[in-house]
Amino acid sequence: MSDDAVTPEDVRHVASLARVDLEDDEIEQFTGQFADILEYFETLDEVPAVDQDAELTNVMEPDEVRDSLDSESALENAPETEDGYFKGPNVS
Amino acid sequence: MCDGGDWQMAVVQIPLRFTPVGSNRHSMTAQTVQQGDLVTVIGLEVHVQLETDTKIFCRCSTEQTDDPNENVCPVCLGLPGALPVLNEGAVEAAVKIGKAIDAEIPEETRFHRKNYYYPDLPKNFQITQYDEPICQEGELEISVEGERRDVRIERAHLEEDPGSLQHVGGSIDTADYTLVDYNRAGTPLMEIVTAPDFRSASEVRAFLAELEEVLEYLGVFDAGRDGSLRIDANLSIIEGEEADENGEIGIDALEAANRTEVKNISSHKGAEKALAYEETRQKNAIKRGRVVEQETRHWDESRGITVSMRSKEEEKDYRYFEEADLPPLRVSHWKDEISIPELPTARRERFRSEYDLNEEAASKLTSTKQVADFYETIADEFDPDLAATWVADNLLGELNYRDMEITDIEDRLEEVTRLVELVAEDEITAKNARETVLRDMLDDEQDPDSIVEEAGLGKTDDDEVQSAVVEAIEENPDAVEDYESGDDGAINFLVGQVMQKTGGSADPGDVNQLLRAELEK
Ligand SMILES: [Zn+2]
Repeated sequence: MSDDAVTPEDVRHVASLARVDLEDDEIEQFTGQFADILEYFETLDEVPAVDQDAELTNVMEPDEVRDSLDSESALENAPETEDGYFKGPNVS
Repeated sequence: MCDGGDWQMAVVQIPLRFTPVGSNRHSMTAQTVQQGDLVTVIGLEVHVQLETDTKIFCRCSTEQTDDPNENVCPVCLGLPGALPVLNEGAVEAAVKIGKAIDAEIPEETRFHRKNYYYPDLPKNFQITQYDEPICQEGELEISVEGERRDVRIERAHLEEDPGSLQHVGGSIDTADYTLVDYNRAGTPLMEIVTAPDFRSASEVRAFLAELEEVLEYLGVFDAGRDGSLRIDANLSIIEGEEADENGEIGIDALEAANRTEVKNISSHKGAEKALAYEETRQKNAIKRGRVVEQETRHWDESRGITVSMRSKEEEKDYRYFEEADLPPLRVSHWKDEISIPELPTARRERFRSEYDLNEEAASKLTSTKQVADFYETIADEFDPDLAATWVADNLLGELNYRDMEITDIEDRLEEVTRLVELVAEDEITAKNARETVLRDMLDDEQDPDSIVEEAGLGKTDDDEVQSAVVEAIEENPDAVEDYESGDDGAINFLVGQVMQKTGGSADPGDVNQLLRAELEK
């Protein structure tokens, strides 16, 4: 593979899709890491094909309500909440 | 890996527009296109919430609650390791819609992940359908200014609704922070995509009204629910000379024209206003020799304008890929197994022929399934004409005046039936029934018999009317003299006197006859 498989522009674009602000030196660092990660994925090509269970279709449940989480547990892991809402920074 | 594009290997590369197979022309033409004309071309993406009890991929309730984050679980909160399980009810609803729009339900259909980062999506992707939607190539017949035509529906697919955001302390751009409620997240949605078959904003409105009616007939949609209908519309303006001699516009001209996608429309009325605005804006730009930008615009309902939105993602940025947690669906045979009720257009036609109704009455009486069902009950029990007057004019009129729907008096329809019976059996006058009993029933929640009894509206005995007639003649010698000297109008004064004496419960026509008979003696 060639070293320019991933360009800094690619990283900037992906970072913007992920709403992540990156400094220039981080861009440089991630450009290299991206290439490495994609190379790891190539290893998957060596995995022999696994037979899929072709019979597995139409997995569904009837439309019947089951208990949800109580709000307290639902919000338990949130770093910030307000009046039962998850709270986060402004997004536009 | 060998080339620069390979790192996007998960991207499914499929053209953005799904062009219907075997059709690259427009079948709908509003009128003959003249040279120099500007033709408006509109296509829609309509999102409707399906009326199921539970969400599409978990069994949390879809009921609207007062408090945020009440109907949430690990699946719809996107917690790690939680697995989606498809709601059979949502699939049934999708098949019903497919059947109603005469769409193909393919042998196999599956789900994809649409990736984007926004806090209304807890998983950072939305489960939706991409190249194998559950409904393909359907159509819906609409009536615009008395003319019937078919709007092609390219596809309709199932997906999950995102959660809802509140921007606190300012507008979307200036807010201090964001509050997130995932109650709505996972509500089943059907996205219905039409071909660019509309030529005006009013056609769009007619389509949306028809679509809503059909969905309500199917029992898969509640138009009264907040946010149950959301519309994105693509609008472009084509030069008239691009059209052929039949006024049809080729796919090439359509693709070449810049279009705007107008988002954030949430009602028929809003759609008509937003698109009329956008049409004028684009036409003005073209007339001034400016280029219409290809962009996404946001309908600002309160200001009545569309505003440019920074567009964030292109199609390929969504990196659609197969949802491996949901096995494929094979439900094409459900189309034969699931039955759907008679749809509004068919029912309208039948009402016209079976009950001999005019177009306006037939269309009023089929506007919702509940109204149509109620009309048929009354028409079959009494008389179709009487039933039409009572349901279409009196009942719907009084309900409309009170900003109510027939569904608001669902448990009192038997009382309305009883009221029509009282009229049909001549026990009260039509006027009293309409102006007193029906109104009191709606305002005071009383039943018709007690209102009739309390207000003494039961039709007066013949004897009583006869004696009132005699009295009126004795008490008004001047009027009698006028009548006898040829002033026929004087009879009306006497009728009025008799009506007063009988408290309005006599039939004015009868009274008129009785007076004339008495005066002839
Ligand atoms: Zn849930």
